[in-house]
Amino acid sequence: MSAAVDTNASYLTATRGWKSWAYTLDHKRIGMMYLFGILGALLLGGAFALLVRMELWSPGQTIAGKDAYNKFFTLHGAVMVFLVIIPGLPAALGNMILPIQLGAPDVAFPKLNLTSFYLWVIGALLLLVAVFTGGLDTGWTFYTPYSLQSQTAVIPAVLGAFVLGFSSIFTGLNFLVTIHKFRPKAMGWFQMPLNLWALYSTALMQVLATPVLGITLLLLFVERFMHIGIFDPNLGGDPVLFQHFFWFYSHPAVYIMIVPAMGVISEITTTFSRKPIFGYRFIAYSSIALALFSFLVWGHHMFVSGQSKLANMVFSALTFSVGIPSAIKVFNWVSTLYKGDIRLQTPMLYALSFLIMFTIGGLTGIFLAILSIDVQLHDTYFVVAHFHYVMMGSTLVAFVAALHYWWPKVTGKMYPERPAQVAAVGVFIGFNLTFLPQFVMGSRGMPRRYWDYDPEFQIFHRLSTVGAFLLGLSLFGVVCYLMWSLKYGTKAPQNPWGGTTLEWDAPTPPTVFNFPEPPEIHELYNYDDLEELPEGGWVRKPSTGAKSSSGH
Amino acid sequence: MSQPSHDDHHDDHGHQSRFIQHHYDDAQHQFDSGKLGIWFFLVQEILFFSALFVAYILYRHHHPEIYAYAHHYLDVKWGAINTAVLIVSSLSAAWAVRCAQLAQRRGLIACLVITIVCALGFLGIKTVEYSHKVHEHILWGKYFDPCVASAGNHLLNKGNNCPGVKTSVVWDGKAGKAKSGCLEGDYDQRPAEPGIQGKCEVVEVVGANRRPIEACEEAPGKSGGHGKPAKFPCYELALNPHVCPAGPAAMVLYGDHGHHGGAIEVKCEAVPAPAAPADAFADPTHAPSTGERTFAQQKPKSKHELAHEFASGPPPEHTNMFFSIYFAMTGLHGIHVLVGVFVFIWLLWRAIRGDFTPDYFGPVDYAALYWHLVDLIWIFLFPLLYLIH
Ligand code: HEM
Ligand SMILES: [Cu+2]
Repeated sequence: MSAAVDTNASYLTATRGWKSWAYTLDHKRIGMMYLFGILGALLLGGAFALLVRMELWSPGQTIAGKDAYNKFFTLHGAVMVFLVIIPGLPAALGNMILPIQLGAPDVAFPKLNLTSFYLWVIGALLLLVAVFTGGLDTGWTFYTPYSLQSQTAVIPAVLGAFVLGFSSIFTGLNFLVTIHKFRPKAMGWFQMPLNLWALYSTALMQVLATPVLGITLLLLFVERFMHIGIFDPNLGGDPVLFQHFFWFYSHPAVYIMIVPAMGVISEITTTFSRKPIFGYRFIAYSSIALALFSFLVWGHHMFVSGQSKLANMVFSALTFSVGIPSAIKVFNWVSTLYKGDIRLQTPMLYALSFLIMFTIGGLTGIFLAILSIDVQLHDTYFVVAHFHYVMMGSTLVAFVAALHYWWPKVTGKMYPERPAQVAAVGVFIGFNLTFLPQFVMGSRGMPRRYWDYDPEFQIFHRLSTVGAFLLGLSLFGVVCYLMWSLKYGTKAPQNPWGGTTLEWDAPTPPTVFNFPEPPEIHELYNYDDLEELPEGGWVRKPSTGAKSSSGH
Repeated sequence: MSQPSHDDHHDDHGHQSRFIQHHYDDAQHQFDSGKLGIWFFLVQEILFFSALFVAYILYRHHHPEIYAYAHHYLDVKWGAINTAVLIVSSLSAAWAVRCAQLAQRRGLIACLVITIVCALGFLGIKTVEYSHKVHEHILWGKYFDPCVASAGNHLLNKGNNCPGVKTSVVWDGKAGKAKSGCLEGDYDQRPAEPGIQGKCEVVEVVGANRRPIEACEEAPGKSGGHGKPAKFPCYELALNPHVCPAGPAAMVLYGDHGHHGGAIEVKCEAVPAPAAPADAFADPTHAPSTGERTFAQQKPKSKHELAHEFASGPPPEHTNMFFSIYFAMTGLHGIHVLVGVFVFIWLLWRAIRGDFTPDYFGPVDYAALYWHLVDLIWIFLFPLLYLIH
């Protein structure tokens, strides 16, 4: 960066022109670019979801045939998982917030950060190539042997997911090093915001699990055009090995999705309850516990793939144990709310939705971990509902919560509160209307990934489709008013919610290196230090700065 | 008042090296961050390779016979040389770091050059090995088709050296018979002794010219049947009936001169058939499907011969999987070596430019760490693939 840049100017305006964005090394700008890319992908994935729901409006063919249907659900899943949910919280919002929460000027490796972003772009383009050159019908899971035979665009899709994997690995690596090496001396591990614990745990999983997906997809890719045979039963290979490798990554991947969401929810529940987080250490440790456990349970996706009984039992038992750290967090959040001074602003509405939906999603996961029950429920809509409660009802909702929570900070503009609250309620109702009926029809035997069904399921499918449109509409509304606010929103105060973490001590929007002066480290989650201004926003009480920081 | 450890980032620290980026406190901070980063990267690399090791272990556990058989196709000599080459390069890479730390620019350049040369040497040797395999169609998965280079039997006995083989049997794996080369139809018995003196007449036809080709003889002075043929062109008979179920194959060996590119005609005289079945290890799926064919068996085989025949007999079913794993592992490793070459060339360029100083030598250190890992992976691959017993 040239010396002419005024580093005390807002990062948004310090330099201008598209090149200043395309070549930027500023983590906030990179996060911003991710955010826009991810919102675009969300629209694409959402469009496919609505196509799926439209096809299922009535039994038999509704809008397209079975082959098209297979492509709809596959592309919906692949786009949502690889382009939206996995990078959403870490790469977009984490990128913007993590260094600021550390009081650091940037991530450890800004160039690598930009590389990650461009890898995401390349991956997204490859997936688009797949969309436009015959689509993809293997399911987002790419199971062999079908993925070796499918006539659709498996090769670009697999390459895309491979590249996206490296984008994710490099982001994780960057965050790990940043948290290790850029934590101020005054901020011990246990003075870190819980969001950072969550991002740390996520980054660990990104670095440790994603390479296995990488090699698996690479082998699949090589298999497709060189017939290397490792997963091909015709050549003596083992297709089930693919499932093992795939889930060795993809189970941790579901925690890559949920753990950063948990971090966000920890921040929001305490801020909007005006109460210190309950059980800080438990939440911090349980993030790490989830990261570790997540590597030991992949077999629960393969209970009916011919695993040995012993393996099934071990995986089942280990899966139950994952419920423990998850439940610890839920109890802590609920205890944080208890007797809090709860403010129902939009981020909090989403956080409360999260609490309800994550509880449902997590508990139904425990049902599925029971061997005898999973034999019945595997590959039914019950599983679909389970993972949507956790992936969409929890992670995506937390993503939207975080978007509203930090939007004023990173854009300098307030979003319009009233429409946002309406949209939040719309998301909640739409979501539950979409997915609660799926539990019912799943437990009654409606298989997943089918384009046709018995008429007895029609009522559930119709409810689900109506819910999906409400949900889609609400989210579309969110995107619209956020974009609107970029131009017309009111100017955001430095600390609109009265948060205690360091990003609220940074200017709004932050300067090029986040802080004009190195920030003071205050006691975390101590809301007594802050007072609300009549014109909106919060400031530290004048007397408290020195007192609280001497507490370390 | 508590202050973050990194001090004011946007003023000038008076850094020694211009390569210290502004968001680091100082040279040490940058170095430490990079070091931690490269360690995480190496962990990532290990996991990247791990799936292949798991695949190796699983298939070896389920099909030990494939590994016992197939590793004979690999040449321990080349593997061992490559191991040595890589170890030397690791040493020179480590030395390069030391030189960079001590500001010994010439030493650094020398060490980097040695490392690059060794890495290229490794790749060169790997290319030699691969091209043998390509030539002999000892390839992965679907393309594993060793009959192509005549019988595996012969090749194995010869330690996998096929000097001067230019024309060989072309085996159609799908059709289950030779496209050319394997003798079909009128030849259904094995000559009395494997090897050179089959009772055959082999003629090369170029236009109207018919040139007889004689059976190969060992060049005098070479022992153990491993030498080059004394005369070119000459033919040998490949006798493994399991890889060439349609009958033994004539493999014509050419010298550098004398290859006229003609068609090969082979006529062989039947030898009286002995009674004993050839091979206790015969695999029905590879046995000839038509006609009855028995093979000479002069005296009962010794245990040693039997073991040998096992190793050199019919490939067990799905021997291709060994080569799938072999090519996947060594290929991925080779790509890493190639990346290393580029990295070291880049470092060499920077070293010549004089970028590295005692307070800025991180890239050399990180590249060396990466290189040690690449070396280490080979040190696992070599015994796992080449030294199976
Ligand atoms: C309490 C924690 C959880 C437990 C015990 C649990 C358990 C399970 C089990 C046993 C299955 C396999 C069902 C089957 O295929 O028959 C499953 C599927 C799934 N779970 Fe969870 N889960 C939990 C949390 C999560 C979270 C947090 C996410 C994502 C954010 C998630 C995403 C998924 C997905 C995507 C699938 C299905 C993948 C597919 O087949 O396409 N789960 N879960
Ligand atoms: Cu799972």
